[in-house]
Amino acid sequence: MATKDFSVYMAGVGGQGLVLLSNVMGSACATAGIRALTGEQHGLSQRSGSINVHMRVGDQIRSPLIPVGGADAILALEALEALRYVEYLRTGGVALINSRIQHPVIETKAHMKERTAIYISAEDVRKRFSEITDKIAMIDALGLANKAGNPLTENVVMLGAMATLEDFPIPVEALRKSIAENVPQKAAEVNLKAFEMGKEEAYDILCNIVKCRK
Amino acid sequence: MREGPGKAFLLCNEAIVRGALEADVKVVSCYPGSPTTEILDAFSEISPKFDYRMEIATNEKVALETCAGASMAGLRSLTSMKSVGMNVASDSMFSLSYTGVKGGMVVVVADDPHAHSSQTEQDGRPFGPNSYTPMIEPSDPEEAKRMVKHAFELSEKFGTPVIMRTTTRVNHQSGIVQLDRLQRTPFKKAAWGHPPGRFVTVAEAARKFKAALLERTAKVREEFEASELNIVRDTGSELGIIASGAGYNYSVDAAAILGLDPSILKLGTTYPLPRKLISKFIKDLKTVVVVEELQPYLELHVTAIAKDANPGLTIAGKWSGHFSESLEYNPNIVVDAMAKATGREAPVNYAAILAKAAELKKGLPDRPPTFCPGCPHRATLHAVLDATRGMKHILSTDIGCYSMSFLEPLEYGDALLSMGASLGIAVGLQYAAEEKVVAMIGDSTFWHAGMPGLVDAIHHGDDLTLIILDNEVTAMTGQQPDPGRDYDAGGRPAKPLILENVIRAMGIEDITIVDPYQVRAAVAPIREALTRKGPNVIISRRACALYSDRNRRRKGEVIGTNKVNKEVCRRPYTCIRSFHCPAISIDDADRKAFISKELCDRCDVCAKLCPYGSIRPREAE
Repeated sequence: MATKDFSVYMAGVGGQGLVLLSNVMGSACATAGIRALTGEQHGLSQRSGSINVHMRVGDQIRSPLIPVGGADAILALEALEALRYVEYLRTGGVALINSRIQHPVIETKAHMKERTAIYISAEDVRKRFSEITDKIAMIDALGLANKAGNPLTENVVMLGAMATLEDFPIPVEALRKSIAENVPQKAAEVNLKAFEMGKEEAYDILCNIVKCRK
Repeated sequence: MREGPGKAFLLCNEAIVRGALEADVKVVSCYPGSPTTEILDAFSEISPKFDYRMEIATNEKVALETCAGASMAGLRSLTSMKSVGMNVASDSMFSLSYTGVKGGMVVVVADDPHAHSSQTEQDGRPFGPNSYTPMIEPSDPEEAKRMVKHAFELSEKFGTPVIMRTTTRVNHQSGIVQLDRLQRTPFKKAAWGHPPGRFVTVAEAARKFKAALLERTAKVREEFEASELNIVRDTGSELGIIASGAGYNYSVDAAAILGLDPSILKLGTTYPLPRKLISKFIKDLKTVVVVEELQPYLELHVTAIAKDANPGLTIAGKWSGHFSESLEYNPNIVVDAMAKATGREAPVNYAAILAKAAELKKGLPDRPPTFCPGCPHRATLHAVLDATRGMKHILSTDIGCYSMSFLEPLEYGDALLSMGASLGIAVGLQYAAEEKVVAMIGDSTFWHAGMPGLVDAIHHGDDLTLIILDNEVTAMTGQQPDPGRDYDAGGRPAKPLILENVIRAMGIEDITIVDPYQVRAAVAPIREALTRKGPNVIISRRACALYSDRNRRRKGEVIGTNKVNKEVCRRPYTCIRSFHCPAISIDDADRKAFISKELCDRCDVCAKLCPYGSIRPREAE
C-alpha cells in the first residue's frame, strides 16, 4: 500500500510519555502495513529535560530525523517545548499544542531575583507560532486527561487530536488497537477514553481550520 | 516475545536483541550506557522466558571478558556498550582479537555523536583497525537484526570477535522489522577440548597470534569484498556517495530532496574495508561525497584508494570543508553539503528557517536535564552546599545523574572525566590544590571503576572526603540493579554487596551515613566529616525516586503531593534556592511558591526547608 509521506515532530518534557506515543503510532503502522520510522531520545535527556521524537511515515523515507521545515505537524505535550522546536514545522503545518506549561527551573531561578518577571505563557507561544502557521490548536490536555480519569493520559489526548487530521496516515482503528496493546492492561480503558476526548476536542477547535477525517 | 515470522515495530536496540535470539545466543553480559541500554533492558526483561545466561556486569571490561570466556568455551555470546565503555573494555578486546574465539561473539559498540548522553563525541571506529577486529555497521533496525545474525556466523567462520558499531541515531531509531522464526536450542555447556595455552597471549605467543591475525584479516577483507552487507547502487551518474550507518540514511533523503540520482556505495563492513569494491565504485566518478559523522575515517581510506583508482576524483568530505567533525548530522546538513559539492542551490533555505526560529524563540528559557522531583541527589546537594558554606573546596565529581549538578541552576562541580575518575583526580588535587578536596560518586559508578581510586587513596593516606550517593541502582540509564541489589537481570536473585562493609574492609573507619531526605539533620554530620582529615567517606543513602515510586506503585501505594499554604508563605524562596525542584514555581499573581500537583513526588524535602512550615500534604486539606 502506497502511503503519503507524513512527518510529525513530537516534543515534551522528560517523563511525559513521548516514547510511548511513538510506540503506539509505530505499532499501529506495523498492524496497518504502513512503513514508519522514528528518531527517539533516551538517556540523560529524559531527566525532566527537553525531549523530542521524530516520527515519520512514508515508503521511501530513510532518515529518522525530520529536516528543519519538514514536519507536517508538531505535537507538543508542553507549550514551551513546542516553541523550542518551531523550526521543524513547515510553513502552514499543523501545530497541536498542550496548553499546559511546566516552568523550567532556570526560569524560576531568574524569577526569584527579578521580582517583576512573569513566565512565558501558552498564549505567547500561540502568538509566536502564528507567524509560521494559521493551523494551531491549543489543547487543555491535562483537563481532558483528568476528565478521562487519569492525568497521565495527556499524551493520548494529544494523539486523539492528531488522529482527526485527514492527512494523518494511520487509521483510527489501528491506533485504538495499538493503545490497548501498548499501555498497561488496567489502564487501557482510561487511555481509550482519553483518545476519544482528544478527538472530540479537535473536532471542536481544529477541524474548522484543518481538513479532518469524516 | 513473538515466535515469528511476522512484523513488529522495534527500537533498533530491541531488534539487535531479536537478532541475537534468532542466532541462538547463549551468554549475555552488559553494563548499561546510553545509547545501548535498551539492549540490556530487553535481554533482562525477557530472560525469564529463555535459557540464555545473563549478567548485568560490574563494568564493560568484565562484561566483555565474561563473553570472551563463554565464547572461548564454544558458546555464542553478546555484549553491548557505549562508546566510552569500549575504553574500559578495550584492554581485553585487543588481546581477545589475538587469541580469537570459538563460539560466535558479537560486541555492540555505540558511539554518541553530539554527546547527547556522553562525556565526549568519541569515534569508536579506530578500535576495529587498531585491534584487527572485523567491524560492521547497520543503518536501521531491520538491518541491525540481520547483521547481528550475520556477525555470529562471521565470528565463528573466522574465529574472531566481531564489533557491530552503531551511533545514537541508529540505536534510538524505531522501525518495522521482519521477525524470523525463533529456533532456540536447549542450553548446554560445552566441553573445553582446547590444547593448553590456546587463549594465552604474551611475547612469543603474541607474535604467533599476530601473524595469524594478519592472515585472518586478509581473508575477512576478501570476504567483505563480495559481502551482501555492502550495497552498491550504480546509476551511471558522475556523482557518487559513500556512506555508512546513520550517514547513509541522511544521504538517501538528501539526494531525493535535491532531485539527484547519484550512485551510492553503502558500506556495511567498515573494517577491514573492501578496498577493491571502493576502488571499482570510484573509478569512473567525477565527484564523491563521503557522508560519515565524527572523524574522516572512510574519507581517509577513500582518498588513499583514489590515488591509484581515480587521481582526478573530487572528494567532498571533512577535509574539503563540506562537513564538520563535530556534532551529529541530519538531513538538512547533508542537503546543504551535497548542494555545495554539486554546485546547486538547496530547494529549501534551511539557514533562513533557523534564523526565523531563533527570532521566535527569543527569551525562551532553556530546559537542560535536571534532577527529577523527589530525587535524593537534589537533597544531598542542598545539604552539601549548606554544610560547605564558607568552606573553600573543590568538587571532583563523576558519571551519573549527579553529574548534572554542574549544569544550571546549581552549577556545582569542578572536574569530571570518566567513570570512577572522581577519586584519581581527587588524589592529584589533594597534592596540588590549596582547598579541601571532595570527591562525589554514585553507588553504581563506585562499583564500576571507583574502587581502585579509593584503594589508592587509602593506601597512601590521601586527604580527601568521598561522598557516595547511594540510590540503590544505576539510575541514569533506567534504574538497573547494581552489585548493591539482591537481584540481577530478569529479577534473578543475587548477593548484595554492602557499601560500608566493603569500604570498612578496605581500611576506612571514618564512615558517615546520612539520609538526604532529612535535609536539615544531614548538614552537621556532613560538615563534621568534611572537616576531619581524610580519607573518609560519607554515604548519602536514599533510593532513586523513579525506582522507589515504581516499586511503591506496584505495591498499590499512592504517591501523595504537597501544597503551599499561601496564608503562611512569606516568600523566602528557601524551597527554591539551591534546591530547584521542577515541581516548584513562582505564582505570577502573588509571587508565592506554587507546587505542581502533577509533578510533586512528596519527598517532603522542600517542606523541611521552609522556615514557616507553609508546605503541607495536599491531602490533609
